[in-house]
Amino acid sequence: MSEDILPSAPDVAGTSLDGAGLFTISAEENEALCATVGLEPSSDGSAHPIYYYIATQVGMGKTVAGVCETCEFDVDDGPMMGSSAVKFQVPLMVGQSYKVGGEILSLVRKRSRKLGVMDVLTYRLRLSLPDSGEAVLETDNVWVLPRKELA
Amino acid sequence: MTHAVGDKLTPFVVEEVSTEGMKDWAVFLADPNPIHLDVEVVKAKGLGDKVINQGPINVAYMINMLMQNFPSAQIKTMDSRFLDNVYGGDKAVASGEITAVDGNEISCSFTLDVDGRGTVNSGTATVVI
Repeated sequence: MSEDILPSAPDVAGTSLDGAGLFTISAEENEALCATVGLEPSSDGSAHPIYYYIATQVGMGKTVAGVCETCEFDVDDGPMMGSSAVKFQVPLMVGQSYKVGGEILSLVRKRSRKLGVMDVLTYRLRLSLPDSGEAVLETDNVWVLPRKELA
Repeated sequence: MTHAVGDKLTPFVVEEVSTEGMKDWAVFLADPNPIHLDVEVVKAKGLGDKVINQGPINVAYMINMLMQNFPSAQIKTMDSRFLDNVYGGDKAVASGEITAVDGNEISCSFTLDVDGRGTVNSGTATVVI
């Protein structure tokens, strides 16, 4: 199949990923998480920074399977993380609740020598304080969705 | 303590990636993907013969390396690229070096390497000390 006749990727840019509720980092879970990666929890009340990923991913308005479904991709076909970037305005704190917002930025179909045809999904998620709306962080994640059926 | 471009960061070493930890992270991430939990699923998918560490755990190892090198600092920005899998039982080492110093902001590049397979993650970060 030549590149010029690849069918277009689903038009999903702009799909909202706003979460319905709040995500709270509990002291117990932060402690348990730190233990799994061999780090003492901070004594200043800040949470492990990897909660940038966990809080946004768990708190967004769709599950991973749901995001894949939006992209017309079966989660059982094995989505792969491509990259993750974050910009913090303030540290994440234990006991603090956060509002999650975001959207899909793009879904781009490409041909790869290693994976064959794949869709590259980019989505942006944000955490903010629920009362003031103050921005806490913004993260862009890129996932690779191998399209075996188009290879 | 002074910091200079080219300074090597003290590595963060995970002697053996924990399969039990993956079970905990399946809960933290609310993502029960069986490739992190069931080696038979990994084999059936042709992805190897050990369970696969969740990607964010690998990022956490690199964050740990930054936090241990800059104990009172805050991460301002960070990006990481996923190049290969980390498997249960792997020895993983996060290491890096300072690439820029601008006032109280220090930029670094880093990698996560696995014994026998080389670099599996790479990234950059800026911390505020």
